[in-house]
This record gives sequence, structure tokens and C-alpha cells, in this order.
Amino acid sequence: MPPVKWLMHWHPNPGATLNSQILAEASGCAESLGGSKDGRWKTSIIFYRAMARDGASAGAGGAPPQQPPDVPRELLGVALHERPGLYFSILRSHRLVLQADAAFPQVMEKLQSYKARVTLNFEGFQYQLGDFCLRIGKCVPNNSETLRGIMMEVEYYPLSSIEKSRAVMEDFFDIWQETLAKKSLPGHFIHVESNFSEYGLSDHYSFQHTAVQYATCLQQLMAAVTVRG
Amino acid sequence: MECVVQGIIETQHVEALEVLLQGLSGVPKERVRVHELCLKSGPSLGVVPSEVRLLCDLAQSTPSWTIRHVGGSMRGAGAEQISVLVRAIVESKASNNVLRYFYGIGYKLDHELLKIGFAFRFHRGAQITVTVTSVNKLPKLHATEEAVPITPAIQLVEITAPAAADNYNDVVSAVTAFCEYLAP
Repeated sequence: MPPVKWLMHWHPNPGATLNSQILAEASGCAESLGGSKDGRWKTSIIFYRAMARDGASAGAGGAPPQQPPDVPRELLGVALHERPGLYFSILRSHRLVLQADAAFPQVMEKLQSYKARVTLNFEGFQYQLGDFCLRIGKCVPNNSETLRGIMMEVEYYPLSSIEKSRAVMEDFFDIWQETLAKKSLPGHFIHVESNFSEYGLSDHYSFQHTAVQYATCLQQLMAAVTVRG
Repeated sequence: MECVVQGIIETQHVEALEVLLQGLSGVPKERVRVHELCLKSGPSLGVVPSEVRLLCDLAQSTPSWTIRHVGGSMRGAGAEQISVLVRAIVESKASNNVLRYFYGIGYKLDHELLKIGFAFRFHRGAQITVTVTSVNKLPKLHATEEAVPITPAIQLVEITAPAAADNYNDVVSAVTAFCEYLAP
């Protein structure tokens, strides 16, 4: 049973932009709290789009590809850094998170019903801080350095119960916010609140919970980008 | 990829085949009880029509699910010289909401079967699995407890072995050699 984890993403102040200085300052805070850097991490989210039966010819003629009716417009694939042998697929419209093997993308490729379009990588360094592990990272499209977001994972090793760990995670988050506030950065981290019960997930934390948090985090990151224009 | 040989056997001879396989393999028999659901894509979904199989292993105390995509078999002059079927296969374990997932992304149930029998898994030049099953239809949706054999007097024998592009000839030889022992 994996330990409980919170995801947080950087919410810039109105008018402020994202930049790598924020990432550097956040990493500095982790170290100032006594965190020791111990490696890199990378989680990927893959956007799949539904393919229409005659989608290829529609694209070639210059017209936009047709969306097949009665199917979700997109699926998300999630490849977590901590479990390279697993793959998760999220159907947000149905509040469903499927856990599968790393071979699952090959199945989708063979079926040709959904095509992988865009991959976003969440990557950075991780820091051990007593019973906590912090992973601070940037969100960038695959094969690009364009910064789309900044986020962090906070993992608490001793507990796997979401409810039982809430108090200690909130305390940590308060300490983190206070430490970061001293840097006077143009924004703050927000905890990604996910409705796990909607996805049929229990109080015991699992990799499926992490996959759902990443999907929610991405939704909030993209909403923030849209608002900023 | 996998190499496959399929045949049939009269139910009255299954017990004798089991004894033969036990002797040849030297491994214990495994129980087989697999609910196989064949799903097909909806009429407007996908560049081409597609089919995927969901296999639910009911032989274990906790059912487990596998997604299986069967690709095209090898064709051409090279394939004609091979005595077994060589085809592309992709499999993935999945959580138990996999049927709802595929319904959700636009797949529909085409048919379902229940395969009941036994299997022997052993290594003899290749990792070979011999499965002998009665193939059953379900009179009502997902009613595995009410399954009835499609052909009561006949059972299916499948010999399979995983293969890769750089070793399928060796696997084919191993499977072909083993099949000699099962010739009537």
C-alpha cells in the first residue's frame, strides 16, 4: 500500500507569469527546511483523442477531424514515476480510472480507436525530509522546454489513510507556505483537491489516487493558463 | 507474438490426453475457468473497426482481468512454409473496472464465452502452454453459472508459445516437435 500523497500546483498572481526562478526558489525552500536532494523524477500524462472512422480522409482534405458521436472526446494516460510497470487511463466523463500494465499503450495503438496526441511531462528533483518526500517539478510538453506549470508532490511515508493523514499534511502545507512566503514570489501553491469517492476509490491511498490527482492537477493548470490568456 | 496450434478432441478422450500431457510435461495440471468477452468498436469509432478481448480468470479466489488484442497472422511465402500459426499478440493486466472502461470509450459486447478445462505450462525448447477446454455459451448476459457447452462431445486443444521477431523460427520448431506427441 503506497503512502498518502498530496499534489499541489503553483497558482500565479493575476498578471504574473510562470518562470523557472519560482522553481529554483521552491527547491531552495525544500533544502532550507532540511531536505536532502536524492534524485530526479518524471511522471507523464498522455492525451488521447477519439478517431472517427473516416478521420484520416477528413484531415487530408483540410477539414478538421470528425469527432465520433457518443464517445468521450479524450482519454488520459498516466505513467507514474514510482511504478514504471503500470499504466493508468482516466475517463473523466465517467469518473473511471483503469489500472493496467505498461503494455496498455500498445493495445491502444493496435486498436486505432484513440490516438495519443500530446504528452506532458511533470519532472524535477526529489527531496527527503524526515517522514516526508517532496518532489518539486515543472510541467513541460514532451520534447519542449516551454513551461506550462509548476507543481509538487508531498508524500508522507508513515500513513496510507487519507483521513488520518489530513491533519499532518495540512500542518506541513502551512509550514511550507510560510517558508515560501518569505521569498515574496508572485503566486502560491494550491492543494489539488480531488473527489476520490466519485472515482470509486476508498480511504486507503493507492496509485489510482495519484493518477486521479494528476488528472485534476492538469485540469486546474490548464484552467489557470486559460484565465491568464 | 505467439505461435499457435489448435485442434479438437472428443470429450471421451480428454482424460487420456490429460495423462499423456502430465507425463510429457512433468508439471501439475492447472485449472482453467476463463470468462472471455469479445468487444467490438462502435460503427463510427476508430480509423478501422477493432476488436479486443477481455479475459476474466475465474479459477483463482480473486478474479483477475487481462486485456488481449490478437493481431494479424504472418502471411506470405515464408508463412506458408511454417506449420504453425504465428500472430501478433498484445496483453495487459487490468483492474476489474476494465469492462466499464471499454463500454465507456465506445466498445460494445459482441459475444462472450466461458472456457472450462485444464492447462499444462512447461518448457520444452520454448515456453509451451497446452490448454484443453470445453467452450461454453452463456444463455443470459454474464451468467457464467448457467453456461452450457457449445459442442458437448468435442473439446478444444490449444498449444501456444510466446515468440519474438528474432526467435519465432525456434519457437515454431519447438511447438511443431511437441505436437508430434499429440498426433492421433
